[in-house]
Amino acid sequence: MSDLELQAELGLGARRQGATRRPRRIAVAEGLAGAVALFLVLSAVMPQLVAPGDPLAIDPLQAFQPPSLPHWFGTDESGRDLYTRVVHGTGNSLLIGVLATTIGLGLGVLLGTLAGMLGGFVDFTVNRVLEVLFAFPGLLLALLVILIYGPGVATATIAVGLSTAPGYARIIRAQLVQVRSSAFVEAATVQGLTPRRILARHILPNTLAPLLVLATLGVGQAIVWATALSYLGLGAQPPAAEWGAMLSAGRTYITSAWWMSFFPGLFIVLTAVTATTLGRAIERRMRHA
Amino acid sequence: MNTPAPTRRALVAVAALAVAGLVLTGCTAEPDAPATGKPVVGGTLTYASGDAEPDCLDPHVGGNYPQALTGTQFLESLVSRDTTGTIIPWLASEWSESDDGLAWEFTLRDDVYFSDGSPFDAAAVQANIAHLQDPATGSSTGYLALQKVTGTEAVSATVVRLTLAEPDSALLESLSQPWLAMESPEGLARGMEENCAAPVGTGPFVIKDWVKQDAITFVRNDTYDSPPADAGHEGPAYLEKIVWRFIPESASRYAALQAGEVDVIDNAQPDTIVQADKGDSIQHLDAPRPGAANRIELNSGTGPFTDPKVREAFIRSANVDDGVASLFQGTAKRSSSALSSAEALGVSRPKLFEYDPKAAGKLLDSAGWSETDADGYRTRDGKRLTVRFPVSTNQSIPAEQSLFEQIQATAKETGFDVKITPMDLSSWYGALGSGDYDAVSAPYTKVGPDVLRILYHSDGITPAPSGYFANHAQVNDPTLDELLTEAGRESDAGKRKALYTEAQDRILEGFYVLPLYDQQNHYLLGADVEGARALPTVSTPTFYDAWLSR
Amino acid sequence: MAEPVRRTPALRRLAARLGGAVFVLWAVATLTFFAVRLIPGDPAEAILGGPGSQASAEALASVRAEYGLDQPILVQYLAQLGRLAGGDLGRSYALKLDVGPLVLSQLGGTLVLAGLALALAWLIALALATWSTRGGRIAARVGSGLEIVAASLPHFWLATALIVLFSIWLGVLPPISTPGPAGLVLPVLTLALPLAGFLGQIIREPLLTALESPFVLSALARGESARGVRWNHAIRHAAIPAISLSGWAFGSLISGAVVVETVFARPGLGRTLLNAVTVRDVPVVIGVVMVVAVAYILMTLLTDAATRIADPRTRAR
Repeated sequence: MSDLELQAELGLGARRQGATRRPRRIAVAEGLAGAVALFLVLSAVMPQLVAPGDPLAIDPLQAFQPPSLPHWFGTDESGRDLYTRVVHGTGNSLLIGVLATTIGLGLGVLLGTLAGMLGGFVDFTVNRVLEVLFAFPGLLLALLVILIYGPGVATATIAVGLSTAPGYARIIRAQLVQVRSSAFVEAATVQGLTPRRILARHILPNTLAPLLVLATLGVGQAIVWATALSYLGLGAQPPAAEWGAMLSAGRTYITSAWWMSFFPGLFIVLTAVTATTLGRAIERRMRHA
Repeated sequence: MNTPAPTRRALVAVAALAVAGLVLTGCTAEPDAPATGKPVVGGTLTYASGDAEPDCLDPHVGGNYPQALTGTQFLESLVSRDTTGTIIPWLASEWSESDDGLAWEFTLRDDVYFSDGSPFDAAAVQANIAHLQDPATGSSTGYLALQKVTGTEAVSATVVRLTLAEPDSALLESLSQPWLAMESPEGLARGMEENCAAPVGTGPFVIKDWVKQDAITFVRNDTYDSPPADAGHEGPAYLEKIVWRFIPESASRYAALQAGEVDVIDNAQPDTIVQADKGDSIQHLDAPRPGAANRIELNSGTGPFTDPKVREAFIRSANVDDGVASLFQGTAKRSSSALSSAEALGVSRPKLFEYDPKAAGKLLDSAGWSETDADGYRTRDGKRLTVRFPVSTNQSIPAEQSLFEQIQATAKETGFDVKITPMDLSSWYGALGSGDYDAVSAPYTKVGPDVLRILYHSDGITPAPSGYFANHAQVNDPTLDELLTEAGRESDAGKRKALYTEAQDRILEGFYVLPLYDQQNHYLLGADVEGARALPTVSTPTFYDAWLSR
Repeated sequence: MAEPVRRTPALRRLAARLGGAVFVLWAVATLTFFAVRLIPGDPAEAILGGPGSQASAEALASVRAEYGLDQPILVQYLAQLGRLAGGDLGRSYALKLDVGPLVLSQLGGTLVLAGLALALAWLIALALATWSTRGGRIAARVGSGLEIVAASLPHFWLATALIVLFSIWLGVLPPISTPGPAGLVLPVLTLALPLAGFLGQIIREPLLTALESPFVLSALARGESARGVRWNHAIRHAAIPAISLSGWAFGSLISGAVVVETVFARPGLGRTLLNAVTVRDVPVVIGVVMVVAVAYILMTLLTDAATRIADPRTRAR
């Protein structure tokens, strides 16, 4: 099982739990997550609105300032404002997360659909390929990709995308198989609908909806992995305002300037929690829609 | 191991006897607290190194600083230096130079044995010099230091004679460095792979085992009795064991020292030094390395820096002073010399390196880089003014990498597009080897102004057998070559000084380098470590006199 | 899928599973062999110390001959398979050591770390889940919130936070991994907390279901204590889905070990792997990946068997 399948599974669990009672109104946690998500997206799209400064502007005489009114999150070793850097880093980090998820999900959909729809020999082959890919658990596949193409932002993004693809593929295949054998599709087949119509009318809508949930959960996961690679020195490099790289730079000064690692890390955790909460909320709502 | 890690830091000498009187007080220091009480015998000292783990513990192979650090614990050289810069006896008890300067005779101690039991004698010295000069060894530092030596001869079992192609006033200082330490000929004969794993020396400690990526364990050599003349005692060392760990994370290293998990750390970060200096639970040993100052070298061989005006513009556009003040918090001083502040013959020209973005802009205008593109970078013929700057993450501490980022930011205001690329050591050597750089910072340790010959003589553009070339600025100036060659042979102190001053003026006024600060070398020690000191040769720590008061 | 229930003889099923495992191993070896050919640069040069070594043509030729790099690719591939089958993982470019013994020597440290983390994660997850299923709605909310946050904590940040708290501010635990038990606390905690978050979420639902199920009610009616019921019946049921998760947990622990061993300067498989990736020490990366793949496949076989034994419903599938 991959992280993603686990996340999806947990989402299903939450659904079953809540199955007896329809969510009446938006829960506090979901509201909070929505607000944070809005803030993050705004930071990513229009960072100047949220933090008007220049994330690369140095001011050596203002180095290592603890959090204060002019510098909410303090300053780093070159006197750069950390709040500005964290906000401007949102774009980079979210972009990496979204791109990696797109790659992973795209490949996953391709493989999963091939296997789920065509069945037979194709299904068998895809399943063997997935089995092989699953033998590189966690970050291993990503590290292998980086070994081949060398470290960097682009490689890290592709690496994370590739290593999440098998998880997506397996979920999608399972979903397709389930829908295809469900009663209403069988009924449609009996009614003599063409396979293409069945696919367009019944199977796709029922399979695509969970994709949104998966993608939401996946972006959070991808950001954590990509920042981990940056932290290990294999992804984004300083002075780029990227959360993992900032955290990695801050670790040098952990004994004298804790804020340099605390705030970038906080944003990573916040993003991951938000993605999980939102993903599950969407899942719940969809089931009851 | 069949390839050397190319040299990065080497050391040559001040023309020792000639200038011994003038020289060098600042190149070593005692820890803050003087050793008190009676030394305790026994105990294990844990050392945490932030330097890269050597590929090979034999400092003849390649010859870099990590090898010098470990080598100092178990290997010894023919001579050493004291804190005044005077050459003092070690494995050789006396020496003499012939009148024409083309032959040196060394009288060796007759009571020294390698830890494998074989005797240290004239034949052993011959074997070591042959090993260093054998291209198959892949020596860089030692090879360069012995360039003028053409032959060896065992006059007797305890007297060895070296013959030279031309006078070399730096020979004694060369021989004092850990990269030219004496190893057992039987050990050398085992072949490179075995010798790299556990070289055999005459030192106060012996390699017990080496668990790669974790630690080297040294144990006391109980029959040892050949300390250098400036050591604090005689006979075997006090410590029973040294555990030499590799902890690349600087914050982990410091925290481990604070927690008492390790006793000594190297490569201490400025903020931790400031913290340590405030309290009294940690001692600070500041031992800047001799030789060249840390500097950014501008590649005058290809790219935009072939034009001296562009080099000057870059130097004028970089605000180094503020960065050094904030990043190093008073632990390092701005340098405006090609040489370490430890070098008496160093020439400082602060005026040449003042931050002046206006002048920089004008220089670029007159050099043809007069257009500015949408991103604010200068262009010429539609080409952007780009400076490729590969940075070795193994050699530049984080504070230095941050300084490079600040230089990048200030140079951008003038219109330079500085592309900093952090690299591991091997890729970095690769980038240098293929000439893919416009600016680079490479530390180079070497005692005395003769380091200038290694770094700026056009011969240094040709790689040593290890593949490393030292003249990164690719200075190719026949006048400078002549000055440096002449200075290396000159034994008259006054003439020598004049030659080196002229040579440094040419280098500094040619804007080949942007000096930053002395090569930082800070050790932090637990309060209960007594008697540790840095050897006054290349400032590596020796624990022969050290003991633990706990 | 509605498949007809068939009873396959146990032996034939076992043979099929083993055959599948061998296939996956062969594919992993093949994939890595050809993937490594994609690495730009000359392997002979890498063996000689990377592009910085500027090795001579003779040296390159002799290395090519020594490592068989001058052979046709198919011959090299077959030779590699042969070596792997014999347990020979090759020789490290950077460390000049045989990879097999190297990996074995690093394996122990990582296993101890991962094993302790797994045990601790289970303890935390069970404690939190039982507390929050017992404590009413508020406790349930808080419990599940804590689990989601814990599961979202990146190892590298958690490690940093723990070091600041316990080593720098409180000064009670060593910030690097030391041989003694004290040196294991922070690394284990770093690995265990996020894992506990996931495990807690997994066992919460079966725990709830089991507690509401007739057999628990009847046990309570028989006068067994509430605690006894929770532990005896509910936990046992909750454990079944978790067993099947061990493959995932294994991957998560290996990824975590890469970070944790680096931050705490602890020798182990993860740190070895990261170092090797950084200096592009191809044989070591391949060696570690192969060993992890083998371990993963063995785990999958074992958990399948365990699930069959624990849950009779799956036996027929």
